[in-house]
Amino acid sequence: MGIVLELKNVSKNYGKVIAADNINIEVDQTEFFSLLGPSGSGKTTMLRIIAGLEEPNEGSQVIINGKDVTHAPPYQRGIGMVFQDFLLFPHKTVAENILFPLKMQGASQKEKDENLKWITHLTQLEGLENRYPYQLSGGQKQRVALARGLVSKPSLLLLDEPLANLDLELRKKMEIEIRRFQIELGIPFIYVTHNQQEALTMSDSIAIMNYGKMEQVGEKFSLYHDPDSQFVASFLGSADSIEAEVASVQDGIATMTFHGKTIQARAHNGLKAGDQAICYIKSERIRMEVEENPDAPCGVVLDKIFKGQYIDYILDIEEGNEIIASSGTLSQIKAKDRISISWDPQVADAFPLPPKDPS
Amino acid sequence: MNQKIFWRLSGPGALFLVIFLLVPLITILVFSFWRTESYTMIADWNLDNYIRLLTDKTYLTFLMRSLVMATVVSLVSLVFSWPIAFFIARYGGKYKIILLLLTSAPFLTGEVLRVTALQQILGPLGLINMTLNNFGIEPIEALMYSNTSSAIGLTYLWVPFMVLAIYLSLLNFDFDLLEVAKVNGAKSWSAFWEITWPLNKIGTAIGVVLVFVPTLASSITSKFLGGPNGALYGNILTNQFGSTGTWALGSAMGVVLFFVSILVLLVVWRLVGDLRRSGISIKGGARL
Ligand SMILES: Nc1ncnc2c1ncn2[C@@H]1O[C@H](COP(=O)(O)OP(=O)(O)O)[C@@H](O)[C@H]1O
Ligand SMILES: [Mg+2]
Repeated sequence: MGIVLELKNVSKNYGKVIAADNINIEVDQTEFFSLLGPSGSGKTTMLRIIAGLEEPNEGSQVIINGKDVTHAPPYQRGIGMVFQDFLLFPHKTVAENILFPLKMQGASQKEKDENLKWITHLTQLEGLENRYPYQLSGGQKQRVALARGLVSKPSLLLLDEPLANLDLELRKKMEIEIRRFQIELGIPFIYVTHNQQEALTMSDSIAIMNYGKMEQVGEKFSLYHDPDSQFVASFLGSADSIEAEVASVQDGIATMTFHGKTIQARAHNGLKAGDQAICYIKSERIRMEVEENPDAPCGVVLDKIFKGQYIDYILDIEEGNEIIASSGTLSQIKAKDRISISWDPQVADAFPLPPKDPS
Repeated sequence: MNQKIFWRLSGPGALFLVIFLLVPLITILVFSFWRTESYTMIADWNLDNYIRLLTDKTYLTFLMRSLVMATVVSLVSLVFSWPIAFFIARYGGKYKIILLLLTSAPFLTGEVLRVTALQQILGPLGLINMTLNNFGIEPIEALMYSNTSSAIGLTYLWVPFMVLAIYLSLLNFDFDLLEVAKVNGAKSWSAFWEITWPLNKIGTAIGVVLVFVPTLASSITSKFLGGPNGALYGNILTNQFGSTGTWALGSAMGVVLFFVSILVLLVVWRLVGDLRRSGISIKGGARL
């Protein structure tokens, strides 16, 4: 399928703040693409540049359906957008809000009627057409915002944390609905969120943003299991970290010493013998054994937290390293038990530890 | 709220309004049905004052002139004030309040001085016409002691009020909605007409009323700037209480002015229409 959106060397400064740092993305016709990153990492800026609300730096290129629209105004881009705080027009009814993009395009009454019928059906807003926004629940407002973004059948829909203001239950429901809309319409959605659960649930691909940089882009499974950068390794999932000294690196696997015990992980960023390393392991990948293994890191269970689908064990490893290990609910290990831990070297990732600030 | 507390808190204000607004109003209403003779009020009830106001064309002419003046001044103020208020509210940043206060700087000098200052600019010996004279150009008649001159003075006088009303409205306006409009295909002008204007039309209407009603009653500006043919309804009204001493007729003129003003309010009210169309969320969607 064709590429709908292409960003080439897109950068944006606000004075000294670099909100977008040389971003390159390609988004496919049928892709659900998430921009995931902490607050302030430049996700909104990215969407605003794509929408044409923000002019990127010199040398940036925004290409939609093969056409360079870097300097085109928003109304020439054929893009739909859904905003975090809904931003419905308070003085317009649901139908008028939804039909606003078609009205701006000067669509015929027939086209408006048809599209309204189609989109209110899709978003389950039938019967609410004549209400005003203040007469709607949060979920309904979000649906209207979605309907307004989709009604003109744009070639691309941008969503900026659209579920952030909804409660958890509604959010779960909407996650699935939004994904359903995307599949039904067959257009790419670019979805901004700081909530990785959301990104993992809905997306095909995820780009991880940090300080305006795109740390890693890829299919979500590989991103989760094969992080390229320290930030991605620490950011995705619930990752434990351990600092250790590298003894040797062979075939991409680093063997490290941690309080006299030997641990292993995939080596990244040119990690070599003698380096101080930081090693990330996802909580659910840590195995616990009740027998103390003299070769493995050992410790004590500080607390056992029942989470419903799993149990989080808070461990103190080798005195002073707090680690969380997730385990199935049938685990018999109790608080105060002494345990040893281990993991498969292929699921842990070690990076060179930047030299500590003397301060 | 507790009724007792309500009355205690709003009582003094309400009393003040009743005494100083309602009492004079009723007095004027009563006087307007009386008669003045040799500078004394005579209480024989009649409609002569009103009959005279409605049949003698002079009074209607002055009323019309004031209505036209108020309309023109309101419209011109509107056109001037919107961009100023918009600029301050949108881009004023931390200087908003200072910029707003600057628009009312002329008020620091008092009304008479302000009008006199305008005379220095507009009058036959004023800045504009003297400059033209120096270049051997005929002075602009329209600027010298005329209705145009009054209109300029009145606009200058009332623009700050209009700016204030629109600015306060824009303070509550979510400018992000304009970006939503743009992303959804609106160009700048459609974004204004579709979003900015309807969501600020109540504030604007208040501004228009704040300018229209006082202009309708105004007399000082036209007295200083209007020249021999520039008298407005307000000037004629003032005369009745001054030199001519026909207080009863003056009272009737006041009553007419009052009702015309109320009528203007009603018209503006009607134009605003359904409050929900101004983004105000009331259950049921009443009118203003
Ligand atoms: N209009 C602006 N002026 C100055 N700085 C801005 C502006 N918009 C965003 N920034 C800065 O750019 C960075 C990225 O912001 P943003 O794109 O909103 O991040 P996110 O959406 O990921 O939270 C932040 O440091 C933010 O403070
Ligand atoms: Mg954001």
